[in-house]
Amino acid sequence: MKQIALVTILAAAAIALPLIIGENPYMTGILISVLMMAALSSAWNILGGYAGQYSFGHAAYFGAGAYTTLILLTNYSTLNPLICMAAGIIVASLIALITGTIVFRLRGHYFGLASIAVAEIVRLSVLNFEFTGGAQGILLSDISLWGLDLNSKNPFYYGMLLVLAVTLGITAYLRTSKTGYYLMAIREDQDAASSLGINLSFYKNKSLVISAALTSVLGSLYGLYIRFIDTSAVLDLRLSIEIILTAIIGGVGTLWGPVVGALLLVPLAEMLRSNLLGDALVKAGLVSDTSAFGIFLKENLAHAHVLVYGIITVLCILYLPKGVLGLFRRTK
Amino acid sequence: MIKDLLRVSHASKHFGGNVAVHDVSFAVDEKEIVGLIGPNGAGKTTLFNCMTGFFPVTLGEVIFDTKKINDLRPDEVCRLGMARTWQRVKPLGSLSVLENVMVGAFSVTNKPRQAEVIAMEELTKVGLTDYASKSAGSLPIGLKKKLELARVLATHPKLLLLDEICGGLNHTETDTILDIIRTIRQRGATIVFIEHDMKAVTSICDRIVVLNSGEKLAEGTPEEITNNPDVIAAYLGGGHHA
Repeated sequence: MKQIALVTILAAAAIALPLIIGENPYMTGILISVLMMAALSSAWNILGGYAGQYSFGHAAYFGAGAYTTLILLTNYSTLNPLICMAAGIIVASLIALITGTIVFRLRGHYFGLASIAVAEIVRLSVLNFEFTGGAQGILLSDISLWGLDLNSKNPFYYGMLLVLAVTLGITAYLRTSKTGYYLMAIREDQDAASSLGINLSFYKNKSLVISAALTSVLGSLYGLYIRFIDTSAVLDLRLSIEIILTAIIGGVGTLWGPVVGALLLVPLAEMLRSNLLGDALVKAGLVSDTSAFGIFLKENLAHAHVLVYGIITVLCILYLPKGVLGLFRRTK
Repeated sequence: MIKDLLRVSHASKHFGGNVAVHDVSFAVDEKEIVGLIGPNGAGKTTLFNCMTGFFPVTLGEVIFDTKKINDLRPDEVCRLGMARTWQRVKPLGSLSVLENVMVGAFSVTNKPRQAEVIAMEELTKVGLTDYASKSAGSLPIGLKKKLELARVLATHPKLLLLDEICGGLNHTETDTILDIIRTIRQRGATIVFIEHDMKAVTSICDRIVVLNSGEKLAEGTPEEITNNPDVIAAYLGGGHHA
């Protein structure tokens, strides 16, 4: 009961937030990023956290969604964006199924390695084909859906929120269903799992396809939101890594871990990018902005958010192996 | 009517040039308890792995419940009704004891509620109900062995393969496990039992198959086996315990 109350309050707060902050595109933009990363990381968590199959190439599914949607819309501008989204799901699921069917016969780290390879194949293909816009990317001029004002960021805020809610809902359902138990059994011990009647490759594929489909929806939504995509924005290895780090720092294999991770990391990245952190250090008198170190920080800190993620991850693995959420969890 | 539930005929397993199991044949009747004994490296666990689909036999046949299962995967073998435990226990460490057993129960039901009911029944059988909510990884070895047993029973197997279920346990713990197995047997279970502890094997088995260096050395009742000079030379040595 307590949990239901908490979730209700959280949901109400999330729904009300854009009304509270008013017309502030910068803040709304950051909030959209938080929601998107929380949802991406939650989708990854179904496969990585519950089934224990670490994908290092989730950008491929994100990119599949974004590219499918934008390619369709630039060619057939009258199409309903939701249909394009569905097409993205199909493309991403196909990529997932092909990868999974081939690689899940093997155990160990092969899936992780293959996921990087597949993501790179997708990225390089998109970069070199003509219909994908190659290195120039794709620019989407105008879209419409149900008469919504899609120049405002609010529809996308609610879109991301909805996908996050659906992803968390699926995760919560899985946690108490046969499939969820089977995924966790696979994560804990594959030999034990298969000796108890679990078809390993079927369940790994199932979780991979669920995860990939959700990720592609987020990619589609992102493409519609940004309206300009290229391979470095939606297919980069960096994106795959950020998704994983968010889950690890928040708490892998927990329902809320990815959300906590995104709430911590996305604002942090934004502060680094906008040099807010560097300026704050100078203002606090900790670093002089004329000193060599101060100049170095000002010039480089903005580009260093992945580096900072890395350092935080190392610290997390050393001191918080169960993520930030692990801090609040009683040990049994 | 008594019939073969399991028939292994002329099974061989080669790993490259290494022959781990050579031309072993035996059968298990319904409701029978068969012991599989032999010195270390005799091929007992390899034979289990071949029977349960973890790796296929190189030559020969494994017939379970009139079906040839040589090429089935472990999960398919389990669903047909032949389930095993592991010599080195394999608890699903971060799940609770109850959840571990529920995973087994999901092979007979899709409903979590029902799986929980089945799991509680099996935990009662092995006396682990007090530990239901404990994390499986935190149990001491004696209780982990009981958990293995409860988990595999939850799949409702027709044939139970126990791989050194008493290994590493003290006398009291061994006796408890043997009592549990006797209870299971009264309910009509068929069991193949790998064990080092001769006392355990002779006290519980109807028939014993002895392996040595991958080959079948002898087969017979516990009395026949303990008095067989070949077996004594190869395995029992001077005393009656290994």
